Amino acid sequence: MATIFERMKAIIVEQLGVEGEEVVPSASFGDDLGADSLDLVELIMTVEEEFSNPTRKIEISDEEAEKMATVQDAIDYLRDLGVEEDEVRKPA
Amino acid sequence: MLKTAICDLFGIEYPIIQGGMAYLGTAELVSAVSNAGGLGIIGAGNSEPDWVRQQIRLTRQLTDKPFGVNILLMSPFAEQVVDVVLEERVAVVTTGAGNPGVYIPRFKQAGIKVMPVLASVALAKRLERAGVDAVVAEGMESGGHIGEVTTMALVPQVVDGVQIPVVAAGGIGDGRGLAAALALGAQGVQIGTRFVCSEECIAHPGYKQKILQAHERSTVASGQSTGHPLRCLQNRLTRQFEEMEKAGVSKEELESFGMNRYYQGAIEGNLDNGSLIAGQVAGLIKEIKPVRVIIDEMMTEAEAIIAGLKNSYSED
Repeated sequence: MATIFERMKAIIVEQLGVEGEEVVPSASFGDDLGADSLDLVELIMTVEEEFSNPTRKIEISDEEAEKMATVQDAIDYLRDLGVEEDEVRKPA
Repeated sequence: MLKTAICDLFGIEYPIIQGGMAYLGTAELVSAVSNAGGLGIIGAGNSEPDWVRQQIRLTRQLTDKPFGVNILLMSPFAEQVVDVVLEERVAVVTTGAGNPGVYIPRFKQAGIKVMPVLASVALAKRLERAGVDAVVAEGMESGGHIGEVTTMALVPQVVDGVQIPVVAAGGIGDGRGLAAALALGAQGVQIGTRFVCSEECIAHPGYKQKILQAHERSTVASGQSTGHPLRCLQNRLTRQFEEMEKAGVSKEELESFGMNRYYQGAIEGNLDNGSLIAGQVAGLIKEIKPVRVIIDEMMTEAEAIIAGLKNSYSED
């Protein structure tokens, strides 16, 4: 059980190799967290995997991905798709 | 004869694809490669859309075989070149320097085969999902804009990551390279530098000579700080560029300093102050040959190597 932010933070720390305290909701992926375009593609693929479950497959298009500048943007996007805080992660 | 899924996909005889070299992927080279059984690719680079259209039409006069267009996604004309390719119904599109995701539905709808050039497993997976027909996994040995992973490490990882055919690029210049690429799980190779030193390529003779004189350590990847490193033969320009980078010159200034340098080097033959794009394979290239000879020799050599591998080791 973890919040959407906590799950996002774990992915970002793992993928971008940044320190946990750098990952705040207002942090931008590019300028603050140092992600280049290929890092972002990897991040999106991992987010899709993390938040998809047998009843809800998440696929983020390039257009949607481009709009997500900050960690908060990504969290808002996931909430809009029906991802809830403290979801129990079901095996795929 | 060595045939792979890439040959069937594009309707070509040999699994050899010409890199989409800016300024050099002209009707002359493209038609020569396609006529010799490979897949020629017009290099749109930063050229204007009208030039691309003219090259497509010229190529059609010189060959009835399939050929493609490479779209440099960073080009200021990228969007218009996409329109030209759609209007002209080119058989194949390859893309470079970016993520072509947004254009793919339009190409698919027009029945155009799409094969992005990339240097990342995640991007390959994502573009497979978007419907591309194949991918070129390009290692950092390549000339021009490069990623960070070597061909040897990248190709098998991309092969494992996707179901569609993978073409290997970077560091391949003869039949040994082709055989190695097939061993890594690739279904074909994309070649740039070797074709620069062909009779048909319109590159300046001085530039071709520089490649013939090069050895394995002659190239350098400049512009790491701009996020778009470019591999070229080392010369006065690359040394100057390196000094500017060390001095902390801004990305914008570096980019404007680098503008049009490839045209000056490759076409005008400014060997000191132009960009002489070449891959690390340059040291392997000793002679200017006709395209058909390059391709035939590569195929013959690769087949001989594959057939002879079992004799190079003992079973016990």
